[in-house]
Amino acid sequence: MTDDVLLRVFDLVKHYGDVHAVDGISFDVPAASVFTLLGPNGAGKTTTLEILEGIREPDSGEIGIFGVRVHRITRPIKQRIGVLLQDGGFEPYLKVREILHLFASFFEHPLHVNDVLQRVALADKAGAFVRTLSGGQLQRLALGAALINDPELVFLDEPTTGLDPQARRNMWSIVTDLRERGKTIILTTHYMEEAEALSDSVCIMDHGTIIAEGTPRELTHAFGEETMVEFRIRELAEQGLAELADCGKEYRVDGGAVTVETEDLPATMESLFAWSRRQDVPLDSLIVRQPNLEDVFLSLTGRRLRE
Amino acid sequence: MAILFTFLFPLVFILVFGFLMGDIGDVSRATMGLFASSDLDREALDAAIAAAGTMQIVSFSDRTEIEEAVTAREVDFALIWDGARIDFLYDAARVQENAAYAQVASGIVTDFNLRRQGAEPPIRIDRIDVGETSSASWFSLVLPGILAFSVLSAGLNAVSGHLTAMKERNVLDRLVVTPMRPVLLLIAIALLRLAIVFISTLITLFVGILLFGLRYDVDWLRYTVCVLCGAFGMMGFGTIIALLVRRPSSASNIAHAGSMLMLFLAGVYFPIEFMPAFLRGLSEAMPLTHMANALRYAMGVIDMSEVEFWAINASLVGLALLLFPVLARYVVRPLRR
Amino acid sequence: MTDVLRIALTHFTTAIRERVTLFWFLVFPVFLLVLLALIFGNIGDEGEIHFEIGLINRDAPGGAVDFAAIVEETFERLAELGEDDTEPLFTLHRPDAEDDLDTFVEDELSALRRGRRAAVLVIPSGFGATVLDAIVSGDAPSSELSVYMTDSNVASQMASEIVAQILAEVDREILVRGGRYDPAIAIASEEIWLGGTGDETPYIDFVLPGIILMGFFVNGLFGVPGAILFNRDRKVLRRYWVTPLSVPRYLAGFSIGHLALCALQFALLYVLGRYALGAGVSFATLPAALLLVLSAATFLAFGFLIASLARTANAGMAVANILNMPMMFLSGLFFPIAGLPLVLRLIVYANPVSYLAQGLRSTLGVEASVFSLPLIVGVPLGWIVLSTVIASTRLKWDVER
Repeated sequence: MTDDVLLRVFDLVKHYGDVHAVDGISFDVPAASVFTLLGPNGAGKTTTLEILEGIREPDSGEIGIFGVRVHRITRPIKQRIGVLLQDGGFEPYLKVREILHLFASFFEHPLHVNDVLQRVALADKAGAFVRTLSGGQLQRLALGAALINDPELVFLDEPTTGLDPQARRNMWSIVTDLRERGKTIILTTHYMEEAEALSDSVCIMDHGTIIAEGTPRELTHAFGEETMVEFRIRELAEQGLAELADCGKEYRVDGGAVTVETEDLPATMESLFAWSRRQDVPLDSLIVRQPNLEDVFLSLTGRRLRE
Repeated sequence: MAILFTFLFPLVFILVFGFLMGDIGDVSRATMGLFASSDLDREALDAAIAAAGTMQIVSFSDRTEIEEAVTAREVDFALIWDGARIDFLYDAARVQENAAYAQVASGIVTDFNLRRQGAEPPIRIDRIDVGETSSASWFSLVLPGILAFSVLSAGLNAVSGHLTAMKERNVLDRLVVTPMRPVLLLIAIALLRLAIVFISTLITLFVGILLFGLRYDVDWLRYTVCVLCGAFGMMGFGTIIALLVRRPSSASNIAHAGSMLMLFLAGVYFPIEFMPAFLRGLSEAMPLTHMANALRYAMGVIDMSEVEFWAINASLVGLALLLFPVLARYVVRPLRR
Repeated sequence: MTDVLRIALTHFTTAIRERVTLFWFLVFPVFLLVLLALIFGNIGDEGEIHFEIGLINRDAPGGAVDFAAIVEETFERLAELGEDDTEPLFTLHRPDAEDDLDTFVEDELSALRRGRRAAVLVIPSGFGATVLDAIVSGDAPSSELSVYMTDSNVASQMASEIVAQILAEVDREILVRGGRYDPAIAIASEEIWLGGTGDETPYIDFVLPGIILMGFFVNGLFGVPGAILFNRDRKVLRRYWVTPLSVPRYLAGFSIGHLALCALQFALLYVLGRYALGAGVSFATLPAALLLVLSAATFLAFGFLIASLARTANAGMAVANILNMPMMFLSGLFFPIAGLPLVLRLIVYANPVSYLAQGLRSTLGVEASVFSLPLIVGVPLGWIVLSTVIASTRLKWDVER
């Protein structure tokens, strides 16, 4: 294994009867980077992560981690990783500080509890009972428990699901900060913006397999030099919509939202304005943007990342 | 689950207690061992023993044998007469029963001494039982208490338990936005619970009668009144608890804890007369005490004035009626955090 | 601090902080101990028991000795406040001078039937003459003093027994004064207490070990499955399993925490029993200490068994509630277990509490045990082994993912 790859997955498989949750995936995670598994619910991201965290056994496949190849994650390996579960509870009658002391006792070389409290911005809540914490504070506590052993590799399973925008942004800045400190992070999410904002590399998963991988830029540029034009319309008949095919390379309609792909922006804009006058339909909330990971996923699978 | 409880709990209760409590304090079914190594004053002794009651007497011919019989609990206590002294042997561990045996013992000694000197007791006592039921044992008084308790906990739990749990899980909020008025919803819940607890008391009662041969003279009208008023009244108490606690889940815990405490203090297990004065006052203040007495009256075990009977039931219903609208508002009120 | 000790501390702390747990495993045993000690400990003691008695004297005063008055005065004395203002044995309800005696008797009997009186005494008219006759002639008296009571009511039974005893004393007094009875040549009687300390076992010494055992029992039966199942269902345990913490180490910490809770229960109940209620038993012997530890361990294992048999926390609590009563009461802890039908006796023999209760009491010198030592230790150990085997195969440490 080369020096800059911290984790390598070889042909991981996990089946539950007829359901192929993880169907033979392989990928590399470079050190000191943020690696994201992106995909809709049920893609197999969490199952993959649980195998890598050591709480699920694969049917077959190997894991290369910290310089050794193993079939499953062992206790010594667990000393060096940190895990933020997708969902889990804490003892409601313990205080924040006591929770961190408890988790610290599981590891041979834990950090100081106060340092971790600072890092996850819970220092002022150190004496609060778990039952009194908000959703965002609980997630930061869980992150604190995941970082208490100063791990080289951190797993974050859907870290911002259910959080309000402010809490989400806090989490993002903590993740970026971790990467600055040289940590390696494996992240799963179904939020495209999150993948784009945080990742150094992305693996898009669907139905247990990897359907695309690369940096966010590489993935979106696979579209070529395309631009996306989006606008909203009210009800329109099929024939009227069909004429959009002439305006650009491709188009799709999703409820009241229309998206047109184009390689020639000026020409498309002219045809769209003409189309709008002809159909007597205004182009509401018109925007022009670059392709994103959602577009990538859609073009690969025909489905959206988020239902 | 809760339904299973309502039926199972009182049944297990009486099964366990019926057999255990049947004989406490009942000296007439006691067995006394007798070892007389001397024939001196035998007539007087035998007469005194016979006069002491309908105990079973088992004779022994050896001191060691009789001592072993006491410790092995083949006999409840023993009398040894050596011509000069009477010794009574007790198993030191039978702390709860020995008081009763000791009373019998001292009665025997007194009587024996009188007869021995040829003196007839100039005062004779005629014990007259004015009790309602002829074959009554202490357990026949306990059973109505147990039934009252199951009515109490069913009523309490219907509100501080069932309803509060629904509130906490926001099921109530969803039901409330339906066109049905909250009061009707409450009535529906109440009636269902009422039916369940009524049936469960009947089952418990019949099991008690079948298994333990208890005899009751049940006035079904009064019995039904007791169960209904008791259950309603307790729903009222449950409402008070639900209103006072911060979190709905605490309500059921408090109701459960309170009812257990009440169970011990309400004279169900042991008579109120045995409690120290300050506890007796507390016992009189508890609803369970009066519910149990009303039920005992309805089942023909004790006597009670009609006024008292109806007053008890009326106050229970009155409390419920008073609190029903409050309860309806509670159902609708948003959850306090 | 090591992980094991931290987990022990966590278990201990959360139990103390949760008010519900605190109530059932501390407050309730304390309450029960105090209540039982107050009630059963005082049967027969001065100033602790009290009866409402109706007393009607239908005899007209007159004659050389007013025997009826003697009887009345005896009861009056017993209705006076004792020293230190302790409550008297009786409160007497007697007719006033202008009351119609027949009506009054009917009222009193009514009150007796309603449980407002423990007994009603009626001294018949002509009583004094009858008694005098009996003394002089040496024959049985020709009229009787009526003691009305309710046989189904234990209090009434006891009251009538006490009344009978008092009257027997009055009898003796009268006979002594009448020269028909000489107390000097009366036969004395001795009470001999077999088993235990050779003296009458105070009730508190009998009940304190029982309550301590009950405390451990409740802790194991409810506290253990409650803690494990709720933590599993709330996914608290899941967070532990992604760390190097292993299940055996978690269990070790949990068990230590549990034993610490039992120690707290013991300390509280013992101090209360010893210094507030006057218990004399000493647990400071090795056999007693070992039995206490064995008991705590047995109920801990039992708790694991229950946790492994239930799928959810609520189901676990339901199982615990159903097992609670038979196990606690069909064990000789509080009630004597002689004379039970076969089915129930089988439960007693299978119940580890029966052996632990007997073993503890006999080690403390409170009573002789009917079970042999191998059984006392063997049956609980057997349950520990059985529970451990079943729990280790069946207990799931995480909910379905």
